[in-house]
Amino acid sequence: MKQIAARIAWSVGLILAVIVMCFSLVHLAPGDAALVIAGDSGAGDPELIEEIREDLGLDDSYLIQLSRYVGDVASGDLGTSYRFNESVTSLIGDRIWPTILLVTTALLFAIVIGVLVGVFTARRPESPVSHGVTVFSLVGYSMPVFWTGYLLIITFASNVRWFPVAGMRDVRLEGNRLEEWLDIAHHLVLPALTLGLIYLAQYSRLSRASMLEVLQSDYVRTARAKGLAERKVVYKHALRNAVIPVITIAGLQFGALLSGALLVETVFNWPGLGRLAADSVFQRDAPVLLGVLICSAALVVVINILTDVVYRMIDPRIRVGGST
Amino acid sequence: MEPLLSVRDLTVTFGSFTAVDRVSFDLHEGQTLAVVGESGSGKSVTALSIMRLVELGTRGKIENGEILFRQPDGEVIDLVQQREDDMREIRGNAISMIFQEPLTSLNPVYSVGDQVAEAVMLHQGLAKAEAAERVLEMFRLVRIPEPEKRMVQYPHEMSGGMRQRVMIAMALSCDPKVLIADEPTTALDVTIQAQILGLMRDLREQTGAAVLIITHDMGVVAEVADDVVVMNRAKVVEHGPAVDIFENPSEPYTQALLASVPRLGSMQGRSEPAPFELVEYDS
Repeated sequence: MKQIAARIAWSVGLILAVIVMCFSLVHLAPGDAALVIAGDSGAGDPELIEEIREDLGLDDSYLIQLSRYVGDVASGDLGTSYRFNESVTSLIGDRIWPTILLVTTALLFAIVIGVLVGVFTARRPESPVSHGVTVFSLVGYSMPVFWTGYLLIITFASNVRWFPVAGMRDVRLEGNRLEEWLDIAHHLVLPALTLGLIYLAQYSRLSRASMLEVLQSDYVRTARAKGLAERKVVYKHALRNAVIPVITIAGLQFGALLSGALLVETVFNWPGLGRLAADSVFQRDAPVLLGVLICSAALVVVINILTDVVYRMIDPRIRVGGST
Repeated sequence: MEPLLSVRDLTVTFGSFTAVDRVSFDLHEGQTLAVVGESGSGKSVTALSIMRLVELGTRGKIENGEILFRQPDGEVIDLVQQREDDMREIRGNAISMIFQEPLTSLNPVYSVGDQVAEAVMLHQGLAKAEAAERVLEMFRLVRIPEPEKRMVQYPHEMSGGMRQRVMIAMALSCDPKVLIADEPTTALDVTIQAQILGLMRDLREQTGAAVLIITHDMGVVAEVADDVVVMNRAKVVEHGPAVDIFENPSEPYTQALLASVPRLGSMQGRSEPAPFELVEYDS
């Protein structure tokens, strides 16, 4: 518990460092925010530009601007979007849930199916199915996310029309809450599959290797010597040990998963953080870009703390109090 | 008297390699039989074959022979012919086993109490609370101090000697007729070895279980064994009462094995131990 508290305190410091770094990078980038806000029509009016600069404190020194920004972020204010003239907090608030939904679905799909496939193939390492899975993993791992996405769209949305091509909701739908959820789930299948496939390939390979090693261990032999059924030996004694590396890698890869989500959201027109970030880059909407970066960093940090908690639950050797 | 366990012409192979070649011996009630030999002589494979564990998780195959076991009801069955479901009823119940490495032989992610209770719940059909009582009873029997505190601990929180006591408690928890101990003291330091061997001897007297001990340590043999089977290169080369084997070893290999036991002062005037003389047998 003490270690988790220390981890949280450390994470707050980390997020602060991310804020300072991101703010500095955006500040260093060429271009004038006042020109962006004034737009094409207002850019020729020096008085308007000056007024905007004064309003936003853009003439203040870098340190003053930074301390003002850190103070605002601490009070939950991420600024106002230059483009939408709307609070960044509310913009992100609308977009963060679709991204969390997409990423967690993809991650859970990759972990659960990956581990099950890994266990199945580890129990029959020489079977044709096992070799087939190895080839599939290699293919899955080698395919770029956007290409997988288009391939799935062509096959399942365009040819057989099982799933919608893009978006998160059917705008024509007028149903109750359950029907709305089902509609979102229907839209979620292809993007989550696209994002999850690459990780499914990795986790099935990883859990296969891990399971093969664990099945040769002495404690598995002890479990068999006790007279336990093979199913219990595998799913109780071996699996819990074999998933430890998968959980560790999944936690570490969460950041990469978020960057993958950006591409998937673009391909599937999914209204998440990734698309908001991409749009804000093209529109030079610095407050939104900064807000998305900070939120993504916070998400990664939170997931890493959660991974730590799960890791401790699974493996008692990590908990405090061990003598060796 | 009819033996409790009778191994007849047992042959075990790993692909084209023969790990155990026509091995035969008997184990009687209350007897401690030591199977000795150097690494790779086939002793552990013999032990794993009796449990039929050699076919699970390894590429081993029992090619030939019988392993006759007299069940508590007097019926004699051939373990080689038993179906896997029936073997599971016997493993950890009528015949149980302890292994060489007490740290790696216990699952690191479950408490030692849960691991012992699992066997009791499986074979004796006890509920969780009753199983916990039985675990406490077994921990007291194998002289684990503060058993209530110890049973919720994980293997990494215990010393080597304590872990091996847990393994013995697990093996004895269902009152086995035969206890197979595969190098039970090899991974332990000398003082703990003596404690564990003493404990095994006492428990054999208390429970009446027959013990098959696998070892390469002649000191352990002298300490606990009634009879000895000497193995070399997959075959039994000598078989007899421990006293005879120690006093009048008839086979050159047994003589070489006994001569290799280090004695106090044997290194005097030498910078390295004397080489072990190889003894070849025609196959």
